Amino acid sequence: MTDTPMTPREEDDALAAEYVLGVLDLAERRAVEERVKADTAFAAMVSGWESRLSGLNDAFAEAPAPNLLPKIEARLFPVAAAPRRSWFGWFAGAAVAATVAIAAIVILPTAPAPELVATLQGEGQPLVIAASYAGGEITVTRAGGPEAESGRVYELWLIAGENAPVSLGLIEGETVTRAVAVMPEGAVLAISLEPDGGSPTGQPTGPVLVTGVVTKI
Amino acid sequence: MEDPVAQLLTRIAAQDRAAFRDIYAATSAKLMGVLLRILNDRAESEDALQEVYTRVWLRAGRFDASKGRGMTWLIAMARNLAIDRLRSRRDVTAEEGAVEAIVDRGPNAEGQTIALGEARRVAECFATLEPDRADAVRGAYLEGHSYQDLADRYAVPLNTMRTWLRRSLLRLRECLDK
Repeated sequence: MTDTPMTPREEDDALAAEYVLGVLDLAERRAVEERVKADTAFAAMVSGWESRLSGLNDAFAEAPAPNLLPKIEARLFPVAAAPRRSWFGWFAGAAVAATVAIAAIVILPTAPAPELVATLQGEGQPLVIAASYAGGEITVTRAGGPEAESGRVYELWLIAGENAPVSLGLIEGETVTRAVAVMPEGAVLAISLEPDGGSPTGQPTGPVLVTGVVTKI
Repeated sequence: MEDPVAQLLTRIAAQDRAAFRDIYAATSAKLMGVLLRILNDRAESEDALQEVYTRVWLRAGRFDASKGRGMTWLIAMARNLAIDRLRSRRDVTAEEGAVEAIVDRGPNAEGQTIALGEARRVAECFATLEPDRADAVRGAYLEGHSYQDLADRYAVPLNTMRTWLRRSLLRLRECLDK
């Protein structure tokens, strides 16, 4: 194996090794992660390299970590004690009163051509959300990744400029369409993981899983 | 082989919060070490540590004990997060600072540490590579160097570095899989 060109299998294996080693740039890393999801043979090459190089892990010295558990648990388990029904009602009412952005869920039989689109993705995150906006309606489709686990729900947020996030509601099922009066180009859409019924505070409380910027098509 | 971390991950996948606290106690110092080594910034490492354990809770169900050890899985997750953060940071900042930081570190700093157990075989196989190539591979894994960092450090074109490293990796595989 001096100057002979690599076989396709060797090329794939080298790419898996480069990913595990960490030398690729961000775009290449994302491309590899997409492939890992779709191609089990390639995924096995990646885990093969993780095991092969794990002998290097001894060289990472331990470092005292502060006790971040309370913060982590607050992110993950935000509503241990909150009465669900009542805050959900409050939340829905407050959200409608506080913003001009929210109306009701509307199921559109036919969607007009989109004016604005966004793809919501996150680092190492299987969830992928495609959003399109046209004629005062945003249509949000879960293009990849699982449903939220039991007891949790995905919540969609609109962040326009310096403004605080505004909830656009819960994303349950494959596709949801909602009326949204204003959708500024360049705004950020984000999905956070919230307890059943949605964020108890009106602001994201769970981890933000994916984000995307609203752009002209 | 006994794998207590894997057992904790299995319990976490079943939403066991006590297991989640136990895994934090048992593994956070190691993962903090990984994050600090790559990110070289305490505040950012602490933030990343929170994110790592958030992912541990959310993704424990995907851990497969038949495919590897629990600690290997955790370290892979921490390294991936740290490298992603490093790459997004470097995409918007100048490269010079990063390169100087690399040169400051001795190329053989790991030589003594890698001596025991599984690590021993890795060390033996690394020894079959030319020393600077072995250092390049080790530096990438432990410090999160990108191809560009390595090309700058060894003063070779990026494509040459890529060819070097790919050949070295395939040679490593031959040796490690024996």
